[in-house]
Amino acid sequence: MTRAAVAGVAAIPVRRKLERSVRDTAAGVAFAAVADAGLDLGEIDGLFASPPALGGIPSFMWSCTLAHHLGLSTRTQTLVECGGLTAAVAFKLAVQEVRSGRLRAALVLATDVRADERADDFEFFIRNMTEQLVGLYGPHDALYGLAAPIPYYAMSAQRYLHEHGLSRADLAPVAVALRDFARDNPRAELRKPITEADVLAAAPICPPLGLLDCSAFASGAAAAVIVSDDLASRRPRVVVRGMGEAHEPAHFAPLRAPLSRFESPRRAAAEAYQEAGIAAHDVDVAEVYGVFTATELMLYESLGFFDEGRAPAAVRDGLTRGEGATVFDPSGGRLSLGHPAGATPLYSLVEIVEQLRGACGPRQVKDAKLGLFHAEHGMLNGSFVGVLEAA
Amino acid sequence: MKEIVDAATAGALGLFGGAATAEFQRRLAAKSLCSTRCTRCRAIAFPPREFCPDCHGREVEWVELPRRATLYAFTQQQRGLRFLAPEVVGLVEVEGVGHFLSRIDAPFESLSIGQTLEVGFAEAAPGVWVHSYRPV
Ligand SMILES: [Zn+2]
Repeated sequence: MTRAAVAGVAAIPVRRKLERSVRDTAAGVAFAAVADAGLDLGEIDGLFASPPALGGIPSFMWSCTLAHHLGLSTRTQTLVECGGLTAAVAFKLAVQEVRSGRLRAALVLATDVRADERADDFEFFIRNMTEQLVGLYGPHDALYGLAAPIPYYAMSAQRYLHEHGLSRADLAPVAVALRDFARDNPRAELRKPITEADVLAAAPICPPLGLLDCSAFASGAAAAVIVSDDLASRRPRVVVRGMGEAHEPAHFAPLRAPLSRFESPRRAAAEAYQEAGIAAHDVDVAEVYGVFTATELMLYESLGFFDEGRAPAAVRDGLTRGEGATVFDPSGGRLSLGHPAGATPLYSLVEIVEQLRGACGPRQVKDAKLGLFHAEHGMLNGSFVGVLEAA
Repeated sequence: MKEIVDAATAGALGLFGGAATAEFQRRLAAKSLCSTRCTRCRAIAFPPREFCPDCHGREVEWVELPRRATLYAFTQQQRGLRFLAPEVVGLVEVEGVGHFLSRIDAPFESLSIGQTLEVGFAEAAPGVWVHSYRPV
């Protein structure tokens, strides 16, 4: 089997709105990632794209539109969609085709647009949103008036605190830690320092979650070039050591499984760790898909880094910020880097690749050799874990 | 706005719902909370299906669920789409079924995990019903 390497990466700063059209933004990160790999777009032989946005704008034949616009002649071209897992699945498919020897240089391209100008047409917006929410939550849960999926995550947070005898104040330090990292990341959407008191005093959204416990909807675009490792010219090479993917038979709230720990990250991590021949504590730097403070903490546990209920104390003790085996979310994470969901997994990949290259400046994790990124859909109903190594 | 939401809901239920959803709705409108039980493995699905999502058996029967539930988790939305804000929702645990989303008909501040609830019903849109639990 050919080894796959991530030879080039690119991402624009996460912001509320894109500065250019989604097509021009996608083209921009495609050129940047291919240049970062030391290649030419003409050498790309596979395109794995996300929809232009995860909701609200049409995606029919988007990969065809992109390939035509970019002038790509390839052997594989596809559009991938699996909620928040979208860009991670696109990455996995690209790696598998490179490993199989069928492709030499695959482009993974992901965008998301969260500020839809057409929302200005109120009637269109409400009708469109109502239909989309019934599609999203299904014809049963959708009738309870959920807009964003925050209530599900709030109830998961409530169960986590309840089962471990914790309080809302135990969630705040991780929001502060992530904001501290984001200060040194020009790509991050939220960089103004915050305190635990700020987190606790922020406007309530869905109790126990307040505004600063939540990631903000955002727009963004990122790309990665996956090559057979003989084509990777940069040193160190960043090779893909292991991948895992797992889905549970649930969509948002599970009928019977607990809400305070999650099977999908556990199963995906077990597969990825086994392929890589590592254990969680071998990982130097990790980017996880924690879109709320409590979710971030539960993920540290479900991915095998801490025992259940122990993550809040670990954060307080600095174990997630450099005092422990693994540094978590030096990008600022979903809470402060920002969360353009359709592209979020690639933002995590970009951070891990740049960390393994030693190119992250003031937020660089010392001697980072082994990195992990995680992505999920629904409420941790499905997960992907990728393990990368500087070689 | 309510007219737009109601019309869009009816259209979307036709698209994303189906026979089991329609039957569930008919029973809710008659103030009866029901779901489907597998005749092979006896698991009760929720929401109802025309097959068993646990063992994938193809034969199911409709059963009425216990009227009592316990509160598994709850929160409220400051801005809801359908009901008056603030809107309280919860996961209610029904014995032999599991925990599922419901409207909760009580102030957020009065609620606590584990308390006993009883099922009630509310009309979310013309002809579209939801279950709405209240403390007993
Ligand atoms: Zn069955």
